[in-house]
Amino acid sequence: MSARTRTLGRLARCVAVTLLAAACGGPAPTVAPVEAPAIAPAPAAPATAAPVVEPTLFTLPANESPAVAIRLLFRSGFADDPADAPGLTALAAQWMAEGGTRSLTAFDLKQKLYPWAARIGVDVEADMTVFTATVHRDHLAEFVPLLAEVVGSPRWEAAEFERLRRDAIDDIEKRLRSSDDENLGKRTLDQMLYPNHPYGHFAGGSVAGMKAATPDAVRAHAARVFGKARLTIGVAGGYPADLPERLKSALAGLPDGQGTTALPTAVAAPERVRIVEKDAPAVAISMGAAVAFNRTDPDFTALMVGVSAFGEHRQFHGRLMQRMREARGLNYGDYSYAEHFTQEPGGTFPAVNIARRQQTFTIWVRPVQPGDAVFALRLALHEYDALLKDGLTDAEVKTAAQFLEGYTQLWAKNPQRRLGMALDDAFYGTPDRLAKFRAGLAGLTAAQVNAALRKHLPPVERLSIVLVAKDAAGLRDALISSKPSPKTYASEKPADLLAVDAVVAVRPFGLAPEAIRIVPVDQLF
Amino acid sequence: MKSNTPMLERAGLVAGLVAGLGALAPRPADAGAFPYPVSQETLKNGLRVLFVPMASPGLAAYYTAVRTGSRNEIEAGHTGFAHFFEHMMFRGTKANPNFDGKMAEFGWHNNAFTSDDQTVYTDFGPASRLGDVIALEADRFRNLSYAEPAFRTEALAVLGEYNKSAAAPWLKLEETLAGTAFTKHTYRHTTLGYLADIQAMPGKYAYSKKFHQRFYRPDNCIVIVVGDYDRAAVLAQIETHYGAWSGKADQPKIPVEPAQTAERRAAVAWPHPTMPRVLMGYKVPAAADHKADATLDVVYDYLFGETGSLHKTLVLEKQIAEPFQAWSQAHRDPGLWAVLGTGKAPEHLPEIERAVDAAIAELQAGHIDEAQLARIKSNQRYSLILELEDPESVAEQLAWTVSVTGELDAIDRYMAALDALTPADVAAFARERLVPAGRTVVTLTQATTEVKK
Repeated sequence: MSARTRTLGRLARCVAVTLLAAACGGPAPTVAPVEAPAIAPAPAAPATAAPVVEPTLFTLPANESPAVAIRLLFRSGFADDPADAPGLTALAAQWMAEGGTRSLTAFDLKQKLYPWAARIGVDVEADMTVFTATVHRDHLAEFVPLLAEVVGSPRWEAAEFERLRRDAIDDIEKRLRSSDDENLGKRTLDQMLYPNHPYGHFAGGSVAGMKAATPDAVRAHAARVFGKARLTIGVAGGYPADLPERLKSALAGLPDGQGTTALPTAVAAPERVRIVEKDAPAVAISMGAAVAFNRTDPDFTALMVGVSAFGEHRQFHGRLMQRMREARGLNYGDYSYAEHFTQEPGGTFPAVNIARRQQTFTIWVRPVQPGDAVFALRLALHEYDALLKDGLTDAEVKTAAQFLEGYTQLWAKNPQRRLGMALDDAFYGTPDRLAKFRAGLAGLTAAQVNAALRKHLPPVERLSIVLVAKDAAGLRDALISSKPSPKTYASEKPADLLAVDAVVAVRPFGLAPEAIRIVPVDQLF
Repeated sequence: MKSNTPMLERAGLVAGLVAGLGALAPRPADAGAFPYPVSQETLKNGLRVLFVPMASPGLAAYYTAVRTGSRNEIEAGHTGFAHFFEHMMFRGTKANPNFDGKMAEFGWHNNAFTSDDQTVYTDFGPASRLGDVIALEADRFRNLSYAEPAFRTEALAVLGEYNKSAAAPWLKLEETLAGTAFTKHTYRHTTLGYLADIQAMPGKYAYSKKFHQRFYRPDNCIVIVVGDYDRAAVLAQIETHYGAWSGKADQPKIPVEPAQTAERRAAVAWPHPTMPRVLMGYKVPAAADHKADATLDVVYDYLFGETGSLHKTLVLEKQIAEPFQAWSQAHRDPGLWAVLGTGKAPEHLPEIERAVDAAIAELQAGHIDEAQLARIKSNQRYSLILELEDPESVAEQLAWTVSVTGELDAIDRYMAALDALTPADVAAFARERLVPAGRTVVTLTQATTEVKK
C-alpha cells in the first residue's frame, strides 16, 4: 500500500466490451436481456412485523491462513447510475472507500490500517460493486468496526468529494481520451453496443456528469443502491466462526435500499464502424456484439473452449494470436472473449465480481501500425468468419481443453479470488461452476464446440467495430471503397500464409458510407 | 524491498509503476523473515535451484531467473536486446517446435518479463505436470532453435510493444530520466531500448545466437520451485534435464557511472492533454546494500505513501497533487531511486518540488517520528504475510530479489536491516544521498503549457 497506481483501471476495467451494430443499412438487431437469478434474500421476518431486510451471508470454509478475506458485494453498479448523472455509483463508492468514516478522517483511516497492512478497496462494475478487505487475523477485532463504518457510516466530507470528483474528470480528460487508446476503444465499443442502455456509459461517468454531480445527489444515490437489500457479506480465509454474524450486526444500520431494476433490451448503434479520431501513434481495434447466452447456458463449456482456441486472453495458443502476431508480427496481441471480461489487476486472470445480467462477445486486436490497420482488420474478420464457417480442428479443441483444465485451477489461487468466484456462482446460480466445467471437458468434441460457436456467436456482419486512429477520414474511405490492402513483409513467409493474405487483402467490407461514423475524441465521455 | 517497477513482459508491459510490494517482514530472527522454508541445491554446472514448499493444493510455480537484463547491453546499437531475446525464447526447439502449444497442453500459464538486471521466465500450473514443464524448460534453455524469418517477425511484435507503450507518457518519462541521470552506465537506456535499435532488430539474427551463448548459461540462472510437490523427485528431474547443460556465462564489463556532482534537469513537452508530472530520481546504492534499500523504503512510506506527510498535505489537504508513485526498482549496480509527483495543474509542480525539498530537509535534520518508523516496520512485516499467499507471488518476489542481489537469503537480510533501522540512520542516509547533487528531475507537461519554476 505504499504507492497507488492510477485509478482508471479500477473503474474502467481493462478489456473490450462491445455491442452489435446493425448490418449496414438495415435495422439494428436486438438482443433480449438475460436475467440472472438473484442471490437469494435472507429468510423473511415473522409475519406480524414489518418486512425486515437483511443482507445475505456467504462463507467459504475457514482455513488455517492468517489472512482473512472479506467481500461486501452489492448488486449495484454503474448500471444504476441515473441516466442524467453517469458515474454517480462509482463516485459514491470511491468517496466511501477513500473519504474516511464518521469517526476517522481519510488520513486517520489510512493511519489506522497501515501498521496492519490491512486493505480496503472498492471495484465498481455494471451490476456489481464490491468492497474488498484483507486483514491479518491479529487485527480482526478492531478492523470489523472500521470496515462497517466505511460502508455504513462514511464521513461524506466535502473536501474529499471535490478531490475525487476532480480526479474522475482528469481520468477522462487527461487519461482515457489522451493516453489510453486501447481502453478508449473498449469503452467506445460499450457505447456502440449499449446506446440508451444502462451499460452504455463509462463507469467513471462523463466530464459533464461529474461537473454536475453534487454531494447531496451522491449521498442520496448511495442510500438507494448500497442498502441491505442488495448486499451479500462474503467471508473466506482464516476467519473465526462468528465473523459473518459480527459483520452482519456491524452493518445492521445500513439503509434497506432499493431492489434492482430490470434492464432494457440492448439495441446496438446503427452504424457498423465507429472511428475515434485522435492523434494516435497506432490504431487500436475492438469489436463485438451483445449475445443472448451467458455461463448458465448448457453450451457454455463448449463456447469457452472454442473461444479459448480462437483467442484466449494473453495466451499464445489461440488462432488469432498465432496468425496475427506470431506468424505475421502485426501487433502485440489478439484475443477473444465469450463473456464480459476484465483482467485482474496485476495479472492476466479474469477479474472476479464483474458478473453481468446481459453479456457480450468481443475481440480485441491490440494496436497495429497505421499502414497495417486495414489489413489487420480484414484478417481478424476473415479469421472470425472462418471460425464460424469452417470451425476448429480436433487438435485445436483438444489443446484448448487441456489448457483450460489446468489454467482454470489457477484462478482459485488465493482466498479473495476463491470468494469472488463463489459469489459470482451465486449470482448466476451456477455453484461449483469451474469444477463442473472441468468435468465437462472430458469427451468434448470439435463437432460439439463448432456447433456451439455457430449457434451462439454473432455472425461477422453483426460485429460492431471501433478503431482509434489519426487518419480517420482515410480509414473510412479505405473501408468504404474496400480497396485492396496487400501486406508485405521484411522476411520470408510460407506460401500458404501468402495465399491467405492474397484472399484477405481483397476481402470486401460491404460498408455503405452511413455505416461508418467518425467521432472526434473530445466529444466522447 | 523495492517495487518491481517498469519491466517488460512478453505478453504485456507491466505498466509504469507497480505499487511497492511493500511486503517484507520478520519471523523470529533465528528463523529469518521469509514466511516459508527455503532450501537450495547447486548443480555441478552451476545452476542454482531454490525450493519453497507451501500449502497450495495441486499447484506449483516454476520460475527461471536469468541474471541478464538491459544492464548487459553494452554494445552500441543493441539496446533492448535482452527483452527481444526473451521473446525469442518462446520460438521453440527442434524437439519441441511449438513451446506455447506444449505449455497449453500441460494446462500451465506461462510468461516472462525483462528488467534492467534480469529476465525471468514464469510458469504456474497444476503440479501434476511439473515434470513435463521441467523437461520443456530445460530443452529451450539448452537447445533453443529458430530460423531467421521467425526472428524477423518477432522483432515486429517488439516494435508493436513499443508502439503500444508510446501512447502513454510513461515511456518517454522513463527514457528521459534514464538518459539524463546516467552518462556511461547501461542504465541510461530503458529495458525496451531505443526506438532506432528496435527498428534495426530484424537484422541482428547472428547476434541473437551469440547472445544466447553468452548469457543463457547454467551459472547465470536460478530456478525457483514453489508450491505443492515432491522435492526429491523434482530435484532428480532437474538434474536429469539440466545436468548436461554446460558453459560459463559471459561477464561483460559494465561501464561505471561517474559520480554525479550537480543536479540535472530535463523537461518533456507531451503533445497531448496530460497530467503534469515531476519525476525526481536520486542516485542510490545497489540493492545488495540492504540497509540502504530498507532506508529508501522507509523514506518512501514516511514521506510519500498513503500515510506519508506529503500525501497528507499535498494530496488530501491542499489537493494540488495526486498520490505519489514509487518509480524505483531494486538494482544490481548503484542506480536510481525515483518518486513521481503528479500535479493537478502545471503550476503545482514547483510547489510539489519545494515541499519535497523541505520534507527531505526535515529528515536530514533528524526530525523523524520514531512511532511512525515503527508503524512502517509493522506494515512491512504484515505485508509480507498478506501479499505472499500463493506460489506465483512467492516465486515472483524471490525471483526478483534473488536475481538482483545474487543472495538466496536476500529477503531475510533486508528484513533484518529494516528491523535495525533507527531515526539516526534515516537522517544520515538523507544527508548523504537525498541531496540535489545526486538528483535528476524530469518534468512532463502538455506541449503548450509553460512551466515556471
